[in-house]
Amino acid sequence: MEQAPPDPERLLQPAPLEPLGNPDAGLESVVVEEADRPRDEGSGDGTMTENNFWLKKIEISVSEAEKRTGRNAMNMQETYTAYLIETRSVEHTDGQSVLTDSLWRRYSEFELLRNYLLVCYPHIVVPPLPEKRAEFVWHKLSADNMDPDFVERRRIGLENFLLRVASHPILCRDKIFYLFLTQEGNWKETVNETGFQLKADSRLKALNATFRVKNPDKRFTELKHYGDELQSVISHLLRVRARVADRLYGVYKVHGNYGRVFSEWSAIEKEMGDGLQSAGHHMDVYASSIDDILEDEEHYADQLKEYLFYAEALRAVCRKHELMQYDLEMAAQDLASKKQQCEELATGTVRTFSLKGMTTKLFGQETPEQREARIKVLEDQISEGEQQLKSKNLEGREFVKNAWADIERFKEQKNRDLKEALISYAVMQISMCKKGIQVWTNAKECFSKM
Amino acid sequence: MSGGPPKALPSTGPHSLRDMPHPLAGSSSEEAVGGDSTPSPDLLMARSFGDKDLILPNGGTPAGTSSPASSSSLLNRLQLDDDIDGETRDLFVTVDDPKKHVCTMETYITYRITTKSTRVEFDLPEYSVRRRYQDFDWLRNKLEESQPTHLIPPLPEKFVVKGVVDRFSEEFVETRRKALDKFLKRITDHPVLSFNEHFHVFLTAKDLNAYKKQGMALLTRVGESVKHVTGGYKLRSRPLEFAAVGEYLDTFALKLGTIDRIAQRIIKEEIEYLVELREYGPVYSTWSALEGELAEPLEGVSACIGNCSAALEELTDDMTEDFLPVLREYILYSDSMKSVLKKRDQVQAEYEAKLEAVAVRKEERPKVPADVEKCQDRMECFNADLKADMERWQNNKRQDFRQLLMGMADKNIHYYEKCLMAWESIIPLLQERQEAK
Repeated sequence: MEQAPPDPERLLQPAPLEPLGNPDAGLESVVVEEADRPRDEGSGDGTMTENNFWLKKIEISVSEAEKRTGRNAMNMQETYTAYLIETRSVEHTDGQSVLTDSLWRRYSEFELLRNYLLVCYPHIVVPPLPEKRAEFVWHKLSADNMDPDFVERRRIGLENFLLRVASHPILCRDKIFYLFLTQEGNWKETVNETGFQLKADSRLKALNATFRVKNPDKRFTELKHYGDELQSVISHLLRVRARVADRLYGVYKVHGNYGRVFSEWSAIEKEMGDGLQSAGHHMDVYASSIDDILEDEEHYADQLKEYLFYAEALRAVCRKHELMQYDLEMAAQDLASKKQQCEELATGTVRTFSLKGMTTKLFGQETPEQREARIKVLEDQISEGEQQLKSKNLEGREFVKNAWADIERFKEQKNRDLKEALISYAVMQISMCKKGIQVWTNAKECFSKM
Repeated sequence: MSGGPPKALPSTGPHSLRDMPHPLAGSSSEEAVGGDSTPSPDLLMARSFGDKDLILPNGGTPAGTSSPASSSSLLNRLQLDDDIDGETRDLFVTVDDPKKHVCTMETYITYRITTKSTRVEFDLPEYSVRRRYQDFDWLRNKLEESQPTHLIPPLPEKFVVKGVVDRFSEEFVETRRKALDKFLKRITDHPVLSFNEHFHVFLTAKDLNAYKKQGMALLTRVGESVKHVTGGYKLRSRPLEFAAVGEYLDTFALKLGTIDRIAQRIIKEEIEYLVELREYGPVYSTWSALEGELAEPLEGVSACIGNCSAALEELTDDMTEDFLPVLREYILYSDSMKSVLKKRDQVQAEYEAKLEAVAVRKEERPKVPADVEKCQDRMECFNADLKADMERWQNNKRQDFRQLLMGMADKNIHYYEKCLMAWESIIPLLQERQEAK
């Protein structure tokens, strides 16, 4: 982890797995205070403590989307969509839900929340947000962010995101997340005041680590590879699926022309007329049925997209590991070199190059006092270095343990969800086939009466 | 050619049949070998029946024939029943077994024509000959010449107009074979045309080319007279029924053309859809290779899409081979009909003109001159034949289109059924819980 100001304080511990009783270390006091609020609020019924708050069932929904205009940071007018988030707590006894909180958020605030979670929980596969801009569109689908269908699908995607976070054993306890749901005003400032942005790893450093790390945990390397492949295959799948949808649309729609021509033809026929006319009607029904079919399929595409973006989250965890491991390796290397220097100074042998050694040669040997001083400095550094190495090692192992636990959880979730998605896709196809059989059977009957 | 017709017969039909001594025409010309031997009375009687038909003024209803399956009863049956009972049929013709012949000058395809008949005109109960497209073309021309008052079914197009199609490809040959089969069956079903001499020869002669050469100069009396009707006569008024048919045919041809275009477009779109599906399915396979628990479900989906692709290909092939050609055939059919209508118009116009000319002259007594009478005969004969043919055509059209469109619906139903089966079969696979690793 990069620590910009050398900070003895251990920042941003991954949240421990045992039930939270204590506010997270390192968060600003403002947040800690507010974290106490649920305790106060809940004391009314006597049963609610902060622990119990999360054990009670809560329902979160993004129930509405609204177009708004406002002024942005550069004081320019902009149009954006705001989403209404409603939180309900469900009483155990009677199952009734009570609306506890209701506020409006825009997409950028969701992004901020997610970025915060990414930085503060680097060992967690953080649920992704729905896409910012419509991608993988087939021709009839709009690529416009303001398009009502896109907004609707995004609303569902955002709700899904919140539900994922709320059902994650660790993320659900986060204060900022809680405030996101409950504190409308000032939330942005609150998040920024945590200073999380400073703790974010620089892209460059991460990239560097990826290339230079010598001994990463094999599992993470494999996982990263898997993430890459998954991203690639799902992108491909979504692209082709969009083309398939396009073509299918064309096939169905052209059949509508039969409706018209059969009707025209029936006008000049005597006995054949009725049969043709009614068959034509069925062709029209067939042609118009494709709209609903493809709309349903978009839901399947969205499920795939979620896991496309999840792949990126997976890779982020792997990168974090590599970064930590590289950091560890660097620290170990640094320690080893310092130890060697120390030894050389102590024994008088010069095996390693040092500036001091050179200047000594050029300008004359240093005094015993000077040498002693240097050894002392090095010994201090070595001692500190050993401490740091130990804690880094510990951190690294903690990270690996926690991350792997979450990855296992994620794998189970992924397999479940994707199986469900495939099943619902198959069900959609079955429904489409049945409709097709129905329409053509009806048409056949009309033809038989010609 | 040299042997004259037996005196007992007042026939005017092509007599070369009797004189055609092909040594290898084993099946049909036992009596013809040697040329001068007199055919047996039975055979003569049979022949005369066929010829008599040709010169009757009302082509549809021959009088006093002893043939068990007379044209009139056949006609009645055609008009009343939509489905001709197999048992009342006495002539069955099939076109099959296309074979490629490679000669020095050219390469061509021949088809086997199998004829089964209980009719007395046929010496044997069964015949099998080989014919090429040229022969069908010849037959059609002959029929048009010899039966100008009748509607002759169309042939599939001689040359392949659209696209680059291989004349010898399986699909093309099969499509053509079906159309040729249809052509012969339509003639078979026609109460007058099926007894035509040329048709008979076509079905039975071993060496058609020899007959072709001989038949060139001879035409039926009626045929000749109709042939000599020159254009340039203006029609006064067309009888209502013919006018209606003319208008109908115009619109009908238009609508058929539109349907043809729509069907082609659908096939094109389906093919493009198929192309995408072929890329889509395998991606699931690629994904499956990355996964553990999901590997089987994903592979299952891939296979499923593959099955749907195969079903779709079958659908497009079927539509191309079975649907489009029949549609086009009917467009040709209505074109034929229109040209026959025109001829009829000309005959009527000539009659009217001649009649007018006579009225002007006033020299003749109430007795109308012979040639005007002939014209009237011609016209009435034509009208009656055409009317009968039109009705038959309408019935056949109704049957044919019902069958064609039901066939189209069937193909689509089968396609969806196949896809349904594929997707339903993988549901259990998808729902299956993986055994704990």
